Amino acid sequence: MIGQFFRLTGRGLGDILIHPWAHLLTLVAVAMVSLLAGFVLLGLHNVNMQLMKSRGEVQFQIYWKTDTDPKIIESQWEAVGSMDHLVDIKGFTPQDALLELADTLGEAGDFGWLKETNPLPFSALASFAVPPSSQQEGWAAGILTKLKSMPGVEKVNYSPLQEDLAHGWKLISKAVIWPVIGFLGLVVAMVVGNTMRLSLLTRNDEIEILALVGAKPWFIRWPLITGGMALGLTGSMAGLGLLKLAQNTLADILNIPPLFIHINFMPMEYCIALVGGITLVAIVSSWVAVR
Amino acid sequence: MVELKHLSYNFGSHWALKDINLSVGKGEFLFLTGHSGAGKTTLLRLLYGALPVSRGRATVAGFDLHRLKRRYVPQLRRRVGVVFQDFKILPRRTVFDNVAMALEVRGMARSPLERRVRAIIRAMGLETKSYTQCERLSGGEQQRVAIARSMVSNPELILADEPTGNLDFGLTMHLMKIFKQFHTYGTSVIMATHSREVLEAVPEARVLHLENGRIHDLNKPDDTEDDIEEFE
Ligand SMILES: Nc1ncnc2c1ncn2[C@@H]1O[C@H](COP(=O)(O)OP(=O)(O)O)[C@@H](O)[C@H]1O
Ligand SMILES: [Mg+2]
Repeated sequence: MIGQFFRLTGRGLGDILIHPWAHLLTLVAVAMVSLLAGFVLLGLHNVNMQLMKSRGEVQFQIYWKTDTDPKIIESQWEAVGSMDHLVDIKGFTPQDALLELADTLGEAGDFGWLKETNPLPFSALASFAVPPSSQQEGWAAGILTKLKSMPGVEKVNYSPLQEDLAHGWKLISKAVIWPVIGFLGLVVAMVVGNTMRLSLLTRNDEIEILALVGAKPWFIRWPLITGGMALGLTGSMAGLGLLKLAQNTLADILNIPPLFIHINFMPMEYCIALVGGITLVAIVSSWVAVR
Repeated sequence: MVELKHLSYNFGSHWALKDINLSVGKGEFLFLTGHSGAGKTTLLRLLYGALPVSRGRATVAGFDLHRLKRRYVPQLRRRVGVVFQDFKILPRRTVFDNVAMALEVRGMARSPLERRVRAIIRAMGLETKSYTQCERLSGGEQQRVAIARSMVSNPELILADEPTGNLDFGLTMHLMKIFKQFHTYGTSVIMATHSREVLEAVPEARVLHLENGRIHDLNKPDDTEDDIEEFE
């Protein structure tokens, strides 16, 4: 029984060589389909990466109460300056703020008369870049609360633009990504399935003859399934290899100002899903070939 | 060996076989004759389980075909050898592999399998071609491979559907000699043919004439016109 199992497995693999051209074409077709599917996955992955990256960038404008001791404010600037993921902090004294205000208004604004009784508060602009790995639920709100709770701080504004964009992307990925992946899966399944079915047409005679001499269904199917598995596995791995090659060549094609996008390869889970999915389709279509 | 009682078979509204009653004993040689379309192939296909028996009764090698479940069809086929006009061998495989196939499906151990395959290939006069791909053989040699495959498992019954239809006179006579040889060892043979030469090669055989799906006994007066309506 075990011996026969191995013999049939060996036959399934050896039989590929009986119709080398038909099987080579099948292999090429499977590789091309997985390459195309891989391109789509790679694209999704990189778009996702870009959005996740900008999603972590957020700016807070901090205003202190006008009567706060400048010493305390300076120490708080330092405290903010040492917070996690901070990339930049700019502090504004009331004088700085006034100068800047005058600057923006140009000739029209002469605020010299305000110098003594400057109504502007101390403020600071803190920019954070939180990497995707540290973006737990409510991370931006967490920073906001922390900043607000500092003594002397009157109010904190923050630019929620990126956060909204990322939130929107999350909604889009829920509504669009899965249908796209589902559709991609369907197309891959149909193309690979039909290709496998066509290549199994060359074996119809064999299936018929085996049945005529009294072969049980599993005896007929097992070699076809192992052969299909081998084709699906090598085909999709070859496609993945080509994809890696393409990514290596094109990695820095967008890495130019102002984009600075480095195209990354897909994570392992995507690769496994691609190879596994295509191999599964190949196995299933080999199984279905024998009614 | 074969018992048929009121066996009928229809393709849609067309009755290919009507009320066949037949008994073939162990070691008998039976010819099925009749024009093209008479129902010879249909009858043989019923006997090896390629078509389901739904009208009437059929017993072959102890299997009640009317009740035979699909998963037992392989068991039936291991007891019955089949040979076709178009050989049905695998052209890309060697003579040895084609013949061995019939024993491999039973899971026979390698060394007795090789012994038996070699013996039958020798009996067919093909020993020098054992490892030749079948597509390189002549028609007569290919048909001998097919016969070897059907005989190697030592079946109780051989069903042959115009096995010499594609071969010339000399090869036909050669193959008939081989069939007769197996017959004398005790194998039952049912062979469809419409060649006079084939019939004459086995003078002791029984001949059954089919006409429009009915058995037409050449010795009896024509009494087969009774209630066709029953089947339509
Ligand atoms: N698969 C089929 N579908 C429909 N009709 C068929 C089929 N096979 C055979 N027939 C019909 O059944 C009748 C008997 O055919 P067959 O058994 O092949 O005759 P024979 O072998 O004697 O030439 C013919 O009329 C033929 O047209
Ligand atoms: Mg016929």
